[in-house]
Amino acid sequence: MRARRFLTGPLSGRLAFPLVCLAVWLLTVELVTAVWPFAVDVLPTPLQVGEFMWNELTGETLAPHNVYETFWISLQRLGIGMLIAMVIGSVIGLGMGLSTSVNAFFNDWVVAILAMPNLAWALFCSLAFGFGDIGPIVTVVLTAVPYVIINVREGVRNTPSELYDMADAFGVPRERTIRHVLIPSLMPFLFAAGRYAFALGWKGLVVAEVFGGQDGAGWTIKFWYDAHRAYGVVGYALLFVIFALIFEKLLFDKLSDRFFRWRPATSGEVVEEQFTAADTVEESRRG
Amino acid sequence: MTTAVAPVSTDGPRRVSEEELARRARRRQRFKTWFWRLAGYAFFLGLWEFASGRFMPETLLPGPSAVFATFGDLWATGKVPDAFATTLTRIAIGFALAFVVGVLVGMLMQNRFLAGFFRDAVTIGVTTPGLIWALITAIIFGNREAGPLIAIVLTTFAIITVNVSEGIKTLPTDLIDMARSFGVGVLKRNRHIVIPHLAPFVFTGVRFGFSMAWKVTVLTEVFSSSSGIGFEMRTATQLFRLPEFLTWILAFYVLALFLEKVVLEVIERRFFAWRKTIRS
Amino acid sequence: MADILVQNLHKEFGAGADKVVALDDVSLDFGGHVFVSVVGASGCGKSTLLNILSGIETPTNGTVSITQDGRPARAGYVFQAARLLPWRTVLDNLLFVQDDRSAQTRERCQRYLEMVQLGDKAKKFPGELSGGMQQRVGIARAFSTEPDVLFMDEPFSHLDAITARVLRAELHAMWQATGKTVVFVTHDVGEAVELSNRILVFAKGGRLAEDVPVDLPFPRDVSDSDVALAKADVFRTFERIGALNPA
Repeated sequence: MRARRFLTGPLSGRLAFPLVCLAVWLLTVELVTAVWPFAVDVLPTPLQVGEFMWNELTGETLAPHNVYETFWISLQRLGIGMLIAMVIGSVIGLGMGLSTSVNAFFNDWVVAILAMPNLAWALFCSLAFGFGDIGPIVTVVLTAVPYVIINVREGVRNTPSELYDMADAFGVPRERTIRHVLIPSLMPFLFAAGRYAFALGWKGLVVAEVFGGQDGAGWTIKFWYDAHRAYGVVGYALLFVIFALIFEKLLFDKLSDRFFRWRPATSGEVVEEQFTAADTVEESRRG
Repeated sequence: MTTAVAPVSTDGPRRVSEEELARRARRRQRFKTWFWRLAGYAFFLGLWEFASGRFMPETLLPGPSAVFATFGDLWATGKVPDAFATTLTRIAIGFALAFVVGVLVGMLMQNRFLAGFFRDAVTIGVTTPGLIWALITAIIFGNREAGPLIAIVLTTFAIITVNVSEGIKTLPTDLIDMARSFGVGVLKRNRHIVIPHLAPFVFTGVRFGFSMAWKVTVLTEVFSSSSGIGFEMRTATQLFRLPEFLTWILAFYVLALFLEKVVLEVIERRFFAWRKTIRS
Repeated sequence: MADILVQNLHKEFGAGADKVVALDDVSLDFGGHVFVSVVGASGCGKSTLLNILSGIETPTNGTVSITQDGRPARAGYVFQAARLLPWRTVLDNLLFVQDDRSAQTRERCQRYLEMVQLGDKAKKFPGELSGGMQQRVGIARAFSTEPDVLFMDEPFSHLDAITARVLRAELHAMWQATGKTVVFVTHDVGEAVELSNRILVFAKGGRLAEDVPVDLPFPRDVSDSDVALAKADVFRTFERIGALNPA
C-alpha cells in the first residue's frame, strides 16, 4: 500500500525524470546513428558529455582557460554590470516612484529597453565597443536596469503609509523614520531587484560574450561550437545551468534568510514562493 | 510628542467652482503627464541623434534619422517583406507547437506522479538561456528547418505550462461544487466555469511565450539560418554595416512589440471584459 | 491627565458631487482621569475625529487644543491594526517612538512590556506573535511614552471575543493605575459601557448626537443588570437619532 503510494507520488516522478531523459537520449543517438552513420560526430552521447564535464571540473581543458578561471572572469563582469545597474536603476526607480512627471518621462523607455532582446544589445555592443570587457558589461547593465527600475518603483509605491502615520503620530524624527521605516521597507524590493539583475544579467552576459568577448563563459561555449564539438557545447551548457542554480539557490536563498529574518517562518515561505513564481514568469519573458 | 493648538484658517474652499476646479486639476495633471512623456521622447531620441557622430563615430552609432533612411533603402531592395515573412512563419509554427506541448504538459501535471516528473523539466525550461538551445540545435541540425522550431519549443513551452498548471491549481472549486449541487452537468460545468477560468491563464502564457519566442527565433537564425531577420542581422554585422543591422533589429522589434502590446492585449481585453473590474 | 477642548470642528472630504461631510460642528470639553468612548455606526466620523485629535489629519474648520497644565500635552496612540514595524523586534518597536535610547528608557519599555504580559517576548519579531499579542505590543508602545492622553481607534475590533475581553480588563487596569485621559473609539456599545465614564454618540453626517455619562462602579461586568441597562440606554439613543435605520 505504502509502496504503491510512493510509486505513484511526485517524488518517484521526480526521480524518474532524469532516468527517462537519459534513456531517450541514448535511444535517439542509437536510432539516428543506425539510420545515418555520419551523425556520430554531431550527436553526443551522455558518456562523452559526462567525461567532458569531469575533465573540465578537474581543470583539464583544451580551451585557453579552465572552467574556474572562465567563470571567474564572467562573474567579475557580471558583478560590475550589476552594481552599475543597481545604482542607476535605484536612482531612476526612486524618482519614478515619487513623481508622476519623472514616471511619465522614463516609463515608455523602460518598457522599450525591457522588451529589447539581449541579442540586440550584445551584437550592438560587440560592434560598438569591440572585443573586450566593456561590451559585455554594458550589455549586463542594459539588460538588468529596467528590472531594477521596476522593482524599486514598486517598492516606493508600496510604501507602508500606515507606518508613516504611526511615526508621525508619535512625533518620531524624520531621519529615524527614514532609517527604521523607509529603508527596511525598500529592502525586499531591492533584494528582488538584485535577483532579477543577476538572473537576467547572466543571460545577457553570456550572449554578449559569444559575440564580443575574448574569454568568459559565453566565449568558451562559442569556442566549442566553432570547434564543432557538440559534447563540449552540451557539457558547457549544463555547467552554465548548474552555475546559475548554485547562485540562485545557495547564495540568494541564504542571503534572503539572513536579511529577512523578521518574516515569520510560515508566511515567509509563502512570500518566497510567490516571489519565485513571479520571478520565473518575469525571467522567462526575457528568453 | 506634542499636539499643539491647531488654529485653522476659517475660509473653506469656495463651493461654486469646486467641481470645475477638480476637473481643471485633472486636466492639468493629464497635460503634465503628456508633457513629460513627450519630453522623455524628445530627450532620448535627441540624445541618440546627438551622440551619433559626436560621442561615437556615425558608423558605430547611427542616429534615428539615419536608421529611418536605411529602412527606406532596405525596403527598396525588396528584402524586407521576405525576411519578415520567413521569420514570422517560423515563429508561428514553432510557437504553435510550443503551445500544444505546454498546455498538454500543464494538463498532465494534474497527476501527482507526472507533476513530479515534469517539475524539473519546467525548471530547466524556464532557467536555461535561449542561447543554449539555439547553439545546441544549431550544432545538431545545422541549417535545417527543425533547428529553430525545436529551440522555440524548448524555450517557450515551460512558461505556458507554468501558467496552465497555475490556472488548474486555482480552479474555483466552490463554484464547481455549487454547480454540482444544482445538478449542472459536466459539459455545462466545463463550458461555463472551467474554460472561462482557465482562458486568462492560458492567454497570459501566450503573451509571455510570444515575447520569448520571437527573441529566440531571431537568435537561432543568427547562428544557423540562411534566411530571415536573424540571418540578415548576421550578414550586416559581418559586413560591419551597423546602420543596416540596427534597422533590421529595430524594424522587427517594432513589429513584435506591436503584436505583443497592441494586438494581443486588444484581443485579451475583448475576450476578458469581465475581468476589467479587477484590473482597474 | 490632559484637557481636551474642541470647538466647532468641521471636516469634509472630496469636492463637488463627491463631497462627504465627516464631522459637522463638533464641540467637546473634557479632561482629567476620564475614559471617554466615541461610538456610532461606520461612516459617522468617529475615526476622523480621532485622526484630527491625534494630528494625522487637519480639520477643514474649527480648533483643537490638547493641553496639560497649560502646555501642549503628550499623546500616545493605539491603532486598529497594531502598526508595528515588522522588521524590528518588539523592544525595538517600543524604542522607535522614544525620545532617547538610554538604559532608563529601555528599562521603562521593558516594564511596560511586562505590564501587558510580554516581558519574555522582547526579542521576538512582530510576525512571530499572535494578533492579540501584537495589539498588546501596540498598547505597551502607547503607554511607554508616558503620555498625558491616549487615543485608541477600535483597538480590539480585529481580535476574537475572548482575547478582546482579556485585553479590555488589562487596559482598564492600566488606565486605573496610570491615571491617563483616554479617548477610545469603538463601534461596540458593550465595550464602551464596560470601560468608560462618558460615551459620545455620533450620528450619520458627523454630528455629535448625545453625550451619555456612565456612573457605575468598576469593574463592570456586561452581564450585570446595571451595565446591561446602561447598554440598552445607549441603544435607545441610537434608535432615537435614527442611527439604526438602513441607509
